[in-house]
Amino acid sequence: MAKTRQNWTAEPWQDSEMLECTMVIPESDNCATIAFRPPSGAWFDYQPGQFLTLDLPVPGGAVQRTYTISSSPSRPQSLSVTVKARPGSVGGRWLLDQLKPGMRLRAYGPAGQFTFLRHPAAKYLFISAGSGATPLMSMTTWAWDSGEMPDIVYVHAARKPSEILFRRRLEEYASRVPGLQLRFTVEEVDAYAVWPGYHGRLSQIMLGLMAPDYLEREVFCCGPAPFMAAVRDMLESLGFDLARYHEESFDAPALVEVPVEPSPPPGAAQIEFALSGITADCQGDDTVLAVARQAGLNIPSGCQFGLCGTCKVLKREGEVLMVHNGGISEEEIAEGYILACCARPQGLVSVEV
Amino acid sequence: MTDQGNLRSLLQAQLSGQSLARPFYTDPGLYQADLDNIWYREWIFAAPLAELPKAGSYVTFQLGGYPVLVVRGGDGEIRAFHNTCRHRGSRICPKESGQATKLVCPYHQWTYDTNGQLLWARDMGPDFDMSSHGLQPVHCASAGGMVYVCVARNAPDFAPLREAADRYAAPHRPDELKVAHQSRIIERGNWKLVMENNRECYHCAGSHPGLCRTFLDDPDLFGSGDSQGSALGAAHVERCEAAGLPSRYLAPEDELWRLVRIPLVGETVSYTMDGKPAAPLLPGMPFANAGTLLFYHYPNTWNHYLSDHVLNFRVMPVSATETEVTTSWLVHKDAVEGRDYDLTRLTEVWIATNDEDRRVVQENQLGINSPAYMPGPYSQRQEGGVIQFVDWYVRSMLRGISGPARVAAE
Ligand code: FES
Ligand SMILES: [Fe+2]
Repeated sequence: MAKTRQNWTAEPWQDSEMLECTMVIPESDNCATIAFRPPSGAWFDYQPGQFLTLDLPVPGGAVQRTYTISSSPSRPQSLSVTVKARPGSVGGRWLLDQLKPGMRLRAYGPAGQFTFLRHPAAKYLFISAGSGATPLMSMTTWAWDSGEMPDIVYVHAARKPSEILFRRRLEEYASRVPGLQLRFTVEEVDAYAVWPGYHGRLSQIMLGLMAPDYLEREVFCCGPAPFMAAVRDMLESLGFDLARYHEESFDAPALVEVPVEPSPPPGAAQIEFALSGITADCQGDDTVLAVARQAGLNIPSGCQFGLCGTCKVLKREGEVLMVHNGGISEEEIAEGYILACCARPQGLVSVEV
Repeated sequence: MTDQGNLRSLLQAQLSGQSLARPFYTDPGLYQADLDNIWYREWIFAAPLAELPKAGSYVTFQLGGYPVLVVRGGDGEIRAFHNTCRHRGSRICPKESGQATKLVCPYHQWTYDTNGQLLWARDMGPDFDMSSHGLQPVHCASAGGMVYVCVARNAPDFAPLREAADRYAAPHRPDELKVAHQSRIIERGNWKLVMENNRECYHCAGSHPGLCRTFLDDPDLFGSGDSQGSALGAAHVERCEAAGLPSRYLAPEDELWRLVRIPLVGETVSYTMDGKPAAPLLPGMPFANAGTLLFYHYPNTWNHYLSDHVLNFRVMPVSATETEVTTSWLVHKDAVEGRDYDLTRLTEVWIATNDEDRRVVQENQLGINSPAYMPGPYSQRQEGGVIQFVDWYVRSMLRGISGPARVAAE
């Protein structure tokens, strides 16, 4: 007889549903972990190490930003990203200053290939710098939660001891399993505070001390591009087989970020499908594609997140708000084309459909 | 009829200085052998650089059995790929040329970046590895403002050609040209007949009244030699070299390609009906009457670099008895049609010449189709270029069928 399920009777979250911010937890200066839940009660299904793309309604125009996920899918009730606002950052700044529990965001994904689940190995070496720690934290939590003793050397480079991300949580894990070894190095120490760890930039010699058996480990690295390049060079010159080296850039989004026109709050809107002689009332946050469907019209589409360009149609009149992922060129936009899947009508809009 | 042994004996029976035996121009099996041994091994001219002016510009074409796609990426690099989706193989770009933001398969919308990387494929499951389903690359390189591709696993060394062609073409500013016009015609003749016809001007006086107003049909100038046999040619090269224009005859030992600058008739400067320029002087040229820089590369292109425009000719085999010839007229990108040049004046001579050549090639093919055809002698004086081309062809085929790759049992 089938046993009834106690939990997860709901379906996993789909990115057609907006996410609600539930917690903002400070990590260090200019850095916080932000937790989300789907209002429907859905759970999160993804792979540790993947990223999420968020639509951020920053003043002066919406932007899309991708963040690697710092929570682990072994804890599927909520999902978190850990965001550091670097000087001049727009999206990070908005998340830290403006996002409050209860606010809802449009999110896409999770997606990405950077996960140790794709590369099973007996031993791992995780190397990160700055907020590049997030996907590795996700993988470490997954490993710890798996109930099998993980064998991971976790190397992290921070500017100061107080900026080592997730330090307390990692120490808690590490103190309960022998296989998880923590190795931290910092560029500067805080005055009058004891720092017994490594000091200075990660180097070949340091790496040899941190993980003497690095040649036997599957390496996952995340951090700023120059940091990752240095790690790659180090490993290569030490004779490491780069087929077992994997990296993820935490600051280069996997999809193109496109600033768009300032967004008025969604209001009543109307779309005229000029070639079909149909006019439909809708909301300012409906997509042209969805409204067309509801009106019984079919615009060919593929990805539905502004990448493939299949849903490109000509706009005759009116304004749309469009956050796309590179499926349309600036020139095409200038010529009046829009991607129906990610264009939202602002007032009255007429399209050639 | 064209198994290895047969082909070898046909090639070995071929006498230098004579036209080829009938099967070389008519037989589908031999046509396939041409593809296997030459077209799938050599660098093939694909498109003028000017046809790929910005990120996302692409050109497609059929190279024998291979649909090929050449595209300029967001980083400005030009790359070539097999134009076949990694899903179920559909052609990704059906158009001959265009502008793409992403390369999207029209069948199931698998979406690739212009660098060939697969970005998105719907519902392929969590274990699907996008990174191992990028478009298959084709070797791609450019020389003298022309993009070449090679579908072989290992491409022949391109560096000597790139160095030479870039240097010779530099005064014509290949990076600053635009396509003013392009024509595409099908000649109902074997590709070798098209090339043979190009490699001589024995037929010019009888066939090309327009071209002969400006082109000197002196075999000492354009034949297979170094053009120094002609006093006019020698003086022209001296004068151009002194003005900084690379012009002296240059070719590798196997004569796969050649560069040489030759004069035109009298004071004429360009291929127009009156011999006057058709477009503004290209900014890198010291004077207008610089003649034409001739550049061929076997098996599929010949070109003229003039002081006011550049002509690229692309030959693509379609079947044993059909060949496509694409001609591109390139002018400086700042030149404005109607103000700086007149399209009719610019193109009329070579549109007519191409059509005249199409007719002679088709008549040639029809005659060779006759069972009564037998190889005849080429004129040593007038058809040195044809002899050289046919010798190159026979050599390449023999090398192809006896290469190590052919010995392995598959
Ligand atoms: S469906 Fe792919 S861009 Fe709209
Ligand atoms: Fe001709």
